[in-house]
Amino acid sequence: MAVIEVTDLRKRYADLTVLDGVSFSVEEGEIFGLLGPNGTGKTTTVECVEGLRRPDSGSIRVLGLDPVGDARRVHEQIGVQLQQTQLPENLKVWEALDLYASFYAAPRDWRELLEEWGLADKRNARFGKLSGGQRQRLFIALALVGNPRVAFLDELTTGLDPTARRATWELIKRVRAGGVTVVLVSHFMDEVEELCDRVAVLDRGRVVAVDTPAGLAEGEHRMRFTLVAGDLTGLENLPGVTGVSTEGDRVVVTGTGEFATVVTAHLARHHILVGDLRIDKRTLEDAFTALTGRTLD
Amino acid sequence: MMKLAVVETKLLTREPGALFSLLIPLFILVVFGSSIQPGDTVLLPMALAIAVGLVALYLVPTTLATYRERGILRRLSVTPVKPGSLLVVQLLLQLVLAVTACGLLMVVAGTVLKAHLPTGVLSGLLVFGLGTASMFAIGLLIAALAPNGRSANGFGVLLYFPMAYLAGLMQPPGQMPAIVARIGEYTPLGAFRQSLADVWAGNAPSPVLLGVMALYALVVGAAAAVFFRWE
Repeated sequence: MAVIEVTDLRKRYADLTVLDGVSFSVEEGEIFGLLGPNGTGKTTTVECVEGLRRPDSGSIRVLGLDPVGDARRVHEQIGVQLQQTQLPENLKVWEALDLYASFYAAPRDWRELLEEWGLADKRNARFGKLSGGQRQRLFIALALVGNPRVAFLDELTTGLDPTARRATWELIKRVRAGGVTVVLVSHFMDEVEELCDRVAVLDRGRVVAVDTPAGLAEGEHRMRFTLVAGDLTGLENLPGVTGVSTEGDRVVVTGTGEFATVVTAHLARHHILVGDLRIDKRTLEDAFTALTGRTLD
Repeated sequence: MMKLAVVETKLLTREPGALFSLLIPLFILVVFGSSIQPGDTVLLPMALAIAVGLVALYLVPTTLATYRERGILRRLSVTPVKPGSLLVVQLLLQLVLAVTACGLLMVVAGTVLKAHLPTGVLSGLLVFGLGTASMFAIGLLIAALAPNGRSANGFGVLLYFPMAYLAGLMQPPGQMPAIVARIGEYTPLGAFRQSLADVWAGNAPSPVLLGVMALYALVVGAAAAVFFRWE
């Protein structure tokens, strides 16, 4: 069942087109990524889905409801971590969780969240005294305190160190395991690759691809080596191989699927000696560049 | 909503600005109070006007603009509780603060300083209500127009001093140039002080001044509502 359905979303600010026909749907229980460089309309898209912004045209259904018309019922069932929000400096961690829990009809026990998100020892600390990572974890906990069916996390690991990022990823997986659908806005390839079941790639206000991270990364891989002794005739006819060429003294074999195994087996069987063997796998990053003609950062 | 009120109250008590707006008028009252005659009817209305002016022009705009600047209003609009609730809670709380400040002034003035306390309770309350409403409306307009908390604070300060001067809070109106004193009576703070002084003197407050305050409250309040941005 689709928990979010977005069809042909359009939004302009003065003469700047921010969303130019965005469509996608999010299935129940998945982690869905919105990936793209800054300024491609990711945040505007989720803000429309959350009911914070009204698109100029297009339709949005969240849990079968209109996020603007049925705002209250939608907001009861979603949890949101917004980019660039703060809390009052003097608000204590437990007070923030307790307060936000009181907004919802059936909230989670915020003490559990305090433990889960490693904030137990910061319970009485004021927001102004928290580090960037602690603030970020508090925001995620606040997004989950209403016991939402869908959680929206916008650039959730921004400002976290590598260890904290990994830890956050593990917790997000646990959130999903608990049955919460997660919509993740990110411009980090590794994060999307690690977490998302499916990804929509946004570029200049349009969705240029929706697929699994592995599906997006699929395509031609390259294998390079130098020929020491032997004859390469027949290599181009092996299953999966799409081309054989030379770059200086190097041989470059391109192909798809398990072609690399087939090629190495062929080399061994025909006693062909090669050196400096390298296999370059296509990554999500390459896929992104191929789709949009530019790099992420 | 109840919890929001409790939390906001806690936050207000942690805000040094709130304490200052209680203490500054009290300080002025005590310093000048040493030279007044028992039964004085001038100093206390001035102190009350200062107290309301400080809350309305410092605390109201700074708090609200800071909440918007920090994205707190935006964050609330994606919860089942709408950011309007926070504004209502804040305004009520600031009103409570203004009432507390005035209560404190009356108690100190009435007991320690033996200043005159008025008998016209109803007209006193009416004047307080209209005066506070007109001053809060100005505070709200600053909050609506200021891009952030810091500039809201700046605008508040910038407006407070000329308004306090025109209202005769820095110099008795009798010592001001007649034309300035006359203009001052029609500023919100001036009308407020003058009406309070009328009540203290045992007279009915001037309907014109009451109307002036009501007009400010309505017009400026409506402008604030029109210009207010949630983000």
